[in-house]
Amino acid sequence: MDVISNLTMDERRRALLILLVMALVGLTFAAAGHGDPIAVHGALVLVLSLALAFPVMGHLYDPEPSIERFNAYYDDPSKVGVILTFVWAAFAMFVGDWVAWLMVEPTWTTGSAWSSFGRLRPVHTTGVIFGFGGNGLIATSFYVMQRTCRVRLPDQLSPWFVLIGYNLFCILAVTGYLLGITQSKEYAEPEWYADLWLVIVWVTYFVLYMRTLARREEPHIYVANWYYMAFILVVAMLHIVNNLAVPVSFLSAKSHSLFSGVQDALTEWWYGHNAVAFFLTAGFLGMMYYYLPIRAGRPIFSYRLSIISFWGITFMYMWVGSHHLHHTALPQWVQTLGMTFSLVLLVPSWGSAANALLTLNGAWHKVRDDATLRFMMIAAVFYGLTTFEGSFMAIRSVNALSHYTDWTVGHVHAGALGWVAMITFGALYASIPWLWKRERMYSPALVEVHFWLALSGTAVYVFALWNAGIIQGLMWRTYTENGNLAYTFLDSVVAMRPYYIARALGGLLYLLGALAGCLNLYLTIRFAAPATEAASRKPLRDGLDDAATQPAE
Amino acid sequence: MFTLHYRLERRAIGMTLGIIAAASIGGFVEIAPLFTIDQTVEAAPDMRVYTPLELAGRNIYMREGCYACHSQMIRTLRDEVERYGPYSLAVESKYDHPMLWGSKRTGPDIARLGGKYSDEWHVRHLLDPRDVVPVSIMPSYGWLMENDLRIDDLRDQLATQRAVGVPYTPDMIRHAADDAYAQANPDGSGVKDLTARYGEATTVRAFDGTPGRLTEMDSLVAYLQILGRLTDAASRDTLAKDLE
Amino acid sequence: MDLSHETLVWVAKTFGLIYLVILSIAVVAYACWPARQKEFRDASTAILNREDRPWR
Ligand code: HEC
Ligand code: HEM
Repeated sequence: MDVISNLTMDERRRALLILLVMALVGLTFAAAGHGDPIAVHGALVLVLSLALAFPVMGHLYDPEPSIERFNAYYDDPSKVGVILTFVWAAFAMFVGDWVAWLMVEPTWTTGSAWSSFGRLRPVHTTGVIFGFGGNGLIATSFYVMQRTCRVRLPDQLSPWFVLIGYNLFCILAVTGYLLGITQSKEYAEPEWYADLWLVIVWVTYFVLYMRTLARREEPHIYVANWYYMAFILVVAMLHIVNNLAVPVSFLSAKSHSLFSGVQDALTEWWYGHNAVAFFLTAGFLGMMYYYLPIRAGRPIFSYRLSIISFWGITFMYMWVGSHHLHHTALPQWVQTLGMTFSLVLLVPSWGSAANALLTLNGAWHKVRDDATLRFMMIAAVFYGLTTFEGSFMAIRSVNALSHYTDWTVGHVHAGALGWVAMITFGALYASIPWLWKRERMYSPALVEVHFWLALSGTAVYVFALWNAGIIQGLMWRTYTENGNLAYTFLDSVVAMRPYYIARALGGLLYLLGALAGCLNLYLTIRFAAPATEAASRKPLRDGLDDAATQPAE
Repeated sequence: MFTLHYRLERRAIGMTLGIIAAASIGGFVEIAPLFTIDQTVEAAPDMRVYTPLELAGRNIYMREGCYACHSQMIRTLRDEVERYGPYSLAVESKYDHPMLWGSKRTGPDIARLGGKYSDEWHVRHLLDPRDVVPVSIMPSYGWLMENDLRIDDLRDQLATQRAVGVPYTPDMIRHAADDAYAQANPDGSGVKDLTARYGEATTVRAFDGTPGRLTEMDSLVAYLQILGRLTDAASRDTLAKDLE
Repeated sequence: MDLSHETLVWVAKTFGLIYLVILSIAVVAYACWPARQKEFRDASTAILNREDRPWR
């Protein structure tokens, strides 16, 4: 257990203390929450804390780690974070594909409550957004903040607290839905105690970031950090406001939202859309602004543009949530506001996408040869496509057709599969050899396979649902010649079947790609040739030609 | 060294404040007016609250994720009004903490479902949708009939609803469990008290067909049958106003 | 509270707009300020540095 003996004695003692306190809290809920599902979560926290406490106890009196550690970055949490990212990807995409098949064959469940569609669907959304995406962001942010600040993390305990605490939140969330614990607010389903726990974890994360920045050796804060910071800060704001609720009692898993009706709807979609903006966009743009230039061996095309897009995204996204509520009971002027800003938002969004693609100018031969860089390139393309589509769907008359249909789901997945997941896989494939000090990924061919599975899966998925959504929307509003509705709702359900099958197949391709990634990760850690001393010193073995040091502007 | 450090930190903090300012003002400006909207929401003096049984049913609706496939928000579009009924008004979800408007219609909108089908239809449909609608892709919910409804926390549930602004009286809160039981037992003794508290129009039936037992099915069906019927403001409103 | 709905709507519709315009100008001015171009150029090339260890 090198990981534990690498902590200082003091850090080990503190870790043990935290774990014991958590075990105690878990025990309290497990014992006192009798008859309420919260007791199960109490027991879960108890078991997990003890499972971590025992190894820490076993190594409590190991000698202090060598002073040499200050000559290297602290990458252990990033390594574990990378592994967790792949584990969540496999798990949550598997559930996603299961859910997709359930829409084809509703009987393909175990028949018990936990495996019914309505409970599995949030397991999928939380698993991909928070489990896969969140771990990817945390793991890479630790990596990036150290490199761009040129300092080691200020301590070794708080990154672990953030990473493990965050995963505990995800586990509480996902197991909660299976047990029937949910607030039912989309993308904010976890109940009050999990929400409170996330606040603690998140504040620690923010403090860690600020401490690292404050110690930095580079005077300028590199723009990737701006995006990561916006992600951390704004997600905290959104999370706290949207989850304001009163628990039924302190020993009950259930709470009632402070907001109701229209207010709740707007708060929810202000949260929902900005979760897209600051979780699924800002954070991953941070990733892109670091990994894409390095992998391409060229500085970002226009640093200026990256700053302007940053502020554009930061202040304009906040206004657009109401485009989720067109033609509803929400006052019209708020709908119009949301629509207008959604259109303007296209400018900074395309700014970022163009910036990424223009960076590749002069490095297209690398894009051709290197699947990792190609992942990032395609991600930027899909980012541009999705934001364009989003602005289009925010137009009231378009939204009248698209809303409530599978078109929305198709749009979401163009963003989620094409942008979020692709940039993450690209960034992970870039950092795995650097983190584990390997020459390269064990099998570049497998990366290539993953890339093509991912790209074809996305294409099949998105095309299927574009068709599905538009057909659905048209069927609902088509009239016969004598002025009656032409189709019953059931007609539209039946019409969806072929598209749902295609979607589930596309999802399967994507899942297979992610599994190939898991395998490659395992092989790289276990069997790949170690990097030579010289190679381990530089981020990229090949391709850092001299052009790299020439400014592009 | 200290001053240098101080300056560097100031930059990071300045950026933090910048992000907070830029991000929060947009949200505030857009959302703040919505919290004073009470002044503009349609008045519905006849609006009633959910009975404890219906509230428990609503919790089951959330627990099972029905909102992932069903919306409860009829938009102001002609085809929706013709298909589902009068468009939804803000006031109708005034007591919904949280709202269940939904965002996806894998199944139809059910904002005005109440009274559309019989209780028996709902029970059969929930037990196995393909039993009544052969092409349905809705999941089966067999366990609803097996599980007894949990009523020990209903009192706390109502008290919490009151804390977030739903006008339950102390009397309603105190008798929450009794009222839940009474609503599914038409021949029981508690019915008179129940209707005294929640109004004569309260539906009192053995929703799942077994009067002696209070199941989760009872409560979910009771909830489905009240959808769209807490007030009739919507039908009044649509009559008065023209559609766009 | 004497903050009426109308006042808030009015603030949203006027102040909100002015705020956005001012913010946009400020950001563009910051990003394009000539004195800052060297700093930006250094920042964008610095991450390509080959060395992979902390500076202290
Ligand atoms: C996988 C998506 C899905 C989920 C989850 C789901 N439904 Fe459905 N529901 C449908 C579909 C599709 C139909 C239309 C076919 C039918 O009537 O079965 C439907 C129809 C209905 C109807 C009939 C509506 C009408 O006007 O004819 C009711 C009532 C209903 N569902 C209630 C529920 C409840 C209650 C739940 C949660 C316990 C639920 N549904 C969960 C998909 C779903
Ligand atoms: C300019 C940027 C974008 C705009 C203006 C935009 C706009 C929209 C619109 C109009 C909807 C449909 C709402 C509805 O009718 O239900 C939507 C839904 C959604 N979008 Fe985007 N989008 C943008 C970018 C993205 C990106 C990059 C992602 C993913 C990474 C994404 C993820 C989502 C999600 C998760 C939903 C689903 C909401 C639901 O469940 O209904 N969006 N967006």
